[in-house]
Amino acid sequence: MSRDAIVVGAGLAGLSAALRLAKAGKSVTLVAKGPGGLGLSQGTVDILGYTPERVTAPLDALGKLSADHPYAQLGADAVAASVAWLRDELGPELLAGDPASNVHLPTAIGAIRPTALAQPSMLAGNITGGRRYAVVGVRQLKDFQADLIAGNLARSSAPDGGTVSARAAWIDLPARAGEADPSGLTYARAMDDPAFAERFADAVAAVAGDCDVVLLPAVLGVKRLGVWREVAQRVGRDVAEVSLQPPSVPGIRLFDALLAKVKAAGARHIQGSLVTGFASEGDRVASLRLAAAGGPRDLACSNVVYAPGGFESGSLGVDSYGVISERVFGLPLTATDARDLIGPDYWASQKLFAVGVTTDDKGRALGPDGPFRSNLYVAGGLVAGAERWTEKSGDGIAVATGVRAADAIIAGGAA
Amino acid sequence: MSQSEAKRLRERLNNELKRASLDHCVKCTICEQNCPVAGVTILFSGPKFVGPQAERFRDGASVDHSVDYCSSCGTCTVVCPQGVKVAEINSLARAVMKAEHGVPVRDRLITQTTLMGKAMTPVAPIANAVLGNGLARKAMQAVVGVHADAPMPTAHTQTLRGWLKKRPARSTPATRGSVVFFHGCAGGYFEVEAAKCAIEVLEHLGYDVIVPEQGCCGLAEQSNGLFEQASASVRSLVAQLRKPGAELPIVSVAGSCGGMLKHEAHEILGLDDPDLLDVGARTRDISEFLMELHDAGDLPTDFAPIPLRVPYHQPCQVRSQGIGMPAADLLRLIPELEVVESEAKCCGIAGTYGLKKEKYEIAQAVGKPLFDMVLEFNQGVAACDTETCRWQIAKSTGVQTIHPIQLVHQAYGLGRVTV
Repeated sequence: MSRDAIVVGAGLAGLSAALRLAKAGKSVTLVAKGPGGLGLSQGTVDILGYTPERVTAPLDALGKLSADHPYAQLGADAVAASVAWLRDELGPELLAGDPASNVHLPTAIGAIRPTALAQPSMLAGNITGGRRYAVVGVRQLKDFQADLIAGNLARSSAPDGGTVSARAAWIDLPARAGEADPSGLTYARAMDDPAFAERFADAVAAVAGDCDVVLLPAVLGVKRLGVWREVAQRVGRDVAEVSLQPPSVPGIRLFDALLAKVKAAGARHIQGSLVTGFASEGDRVASLRLAAAGGPRDLACSNVVYAPGGFESGSLGVDSYGVISERVFGLPLTATDARDLIGPDYWASQKLFAVGVTTDDKGRALGPDGPFRSNLYVAGGLVAGAERWTEKSGDGIAVATGVRAADAIIAGGAA
Repeated sequence: MSQSEAKRLRERLNNELKRASLDHCVKCTICEQNCPVAGVTILFSGPKFVGPQAERFRDGASVDHSVDYCSSCGTCTVVCPQGVKVAEINSLARAVMKAEHGVPVRDRLITQTTLMGKAMTPVAPIANAVLGNGLARKAMQAVVGVHADAPMPTAHTQTLRGWLKKRPARSTPATRGSVVFFHGCAGGYFEVEAAKCAIEVLEHLGYDVIVPEQGCCGLAEQSNGLFEQASASVRSLVAQLRKPGAELPIVSVAGSCGGMLKHEAHEILGLDDPDLLDVGARTRDISEFLMELHDAGDLPTDFAPIPLRVPYHQPCQVRSQGIGMPAADLLRLIPELEVVESEAKCCGIAGTYGLKKEKYEIAQAVGKPLFDMVLEFNQGVAACDTETCRWQIAKSTGVQTIHPIQLVHQAYGLGRVTV
């Protein structure tokens, strides 16, 4: 018995597709080498952050993108509906906001970053002119440098044009006695214990001083949601989590919640095995080959949603001759020669990152004469046309292309 | 251990592909996020720190002792999106360390699983009484270093072989051909019920079940850095499992030991023996084997309902086989049986890790979320695919913990395990 769909990849695109399919009653197997990229992410959902000007109304700004951008094919309505669907699936304790408007959140170096949906624990950090921010660091946690963050915020102007006042303060509170170099996750695990969260809040309250909002490292609980509310109440002011470099606690929260939903909806989950090949029957992918321990396993399927990521995961690669290729299917790409696509200026546009797979309006990978296979859909970072890093568009593309592929399969488009 | 062995292991650590794979590490922290040991103790600084990160700087220097706090659960390799063989690198580094600095007697003793089974079976009541005696266990902790509260196997007066000899000949014809059955040391001596149920289920499905003489897979020796002994053990087992026929499927009821045959002996011990690779390719976990039948439309699902909610824990060394969750999928085919997955990375015991007096507390902390969920969801029974994990769960929760195949056995009307 073949599965209705195999979804490859456990990032935002794969999880969105798997959840949508499983909730529609399809038999789904989610296959992923690792746990996807969410645990490395900010734990927010970007739609569009820069065009390159900073964007405040992302759906309106989609119209300014070129015709070969993934958003141009998807359309603003589909993007808005997909992102709102994800937000509503995860619920207000995990994602809040309006796809039509960006909030502007401080980063772990004190830059101001636009994003569409954020966790409720972050929203008080929406940088607003005239507000006074206290940035409270923990001496033992090197990934959150309060002086750097406060200094950079204080020399920035708020997106509304107002001035930002920010100052740094520090607390001294080991999460585990004797640990030399704890990560944010160590603190988040400690914060799952209400007693530690209280001690943390009391220490913060003692140094926060005169301010409207206390900015804290995003370590306010990983299993237990709502710790930020307890801390805010004890501190007596608004608090906001600022996402750190990986391990990203807010990202892990989203991954854990989405995977639990996918499994609760009945999907099978195979972790740790790389997809290494496929077999075709006529114009269809008939099965995917997995490199399981001991030897290959062939998984029969009616449809494939291929959401393995792009260069960052090795799904796209560049060899020593500059040849770009896609790892599993050898999918046709928008460019195959990397040599002219990597510019000398690190900060300038790097066209290599826009290389990928083009799709039809159902999300199927396109070859020269139509779909590469009639049942092979691609989603997420593999889709061509966006420089996700600079645009801050990767999350919205992932969710919307994941949903598009799932909906095409649910509608019975190709199987 | 000889200096030549230390030199040989270091050569492997420096030169093999597993070592080269560390250059694929992009320092993303995903292994650190998922490591069950680093999450509960600062004594292990995490798979990335002691592995791909530290290995670059060792350059001949001895491996940091913190690597010995790795439990070898393999989670880091499973979750690494870049294909870095983190667990394999760290296991090899530990073997180098032990070869250079020596191995405690305790670590040599607790790896002798077959010997324990053989010695304990004839004197089972006495052995059980000694292992259940608090004073004896305190003495054992002081002298040998096995923690007084760590779970110990229960010896039975009848081995699997004894049962096989005495049972009546099968009454139904074998319609599906033969399979080779791998029961592991525990299945042979301590957990004979699981092995019996698996054999009866396979026979019920129409298989002729061949149970060759079989020794230990060497996994416990490998986890303790005793690579020479582990290699000898697994080679001998491979020869035993190949005897009945070169094409036959090998079906394993020993969850973790199946992983030793499939990939660990090859990737950690570095054995490139074609016989081992052949056995690895033919080995299937019992639940995996049945789910492959199911997905091919060949598994009868005329299961009797089992009205029960059962917490199920997939052992780390079954998860690392990269086959999904076949036992959970299989149990969900049984009407009225509600399966609650533990979502826990490891039960803590990790073979022999949690037995050691200096690691016992860590192992219990690793297993705590699992024990909590078993206590919350059980209705008298929990399920898990590996023997030592079952002992750990049962000892730490007081809940009877069985192999999933025992529920399948009941659902086929072959016996009764639930109350």
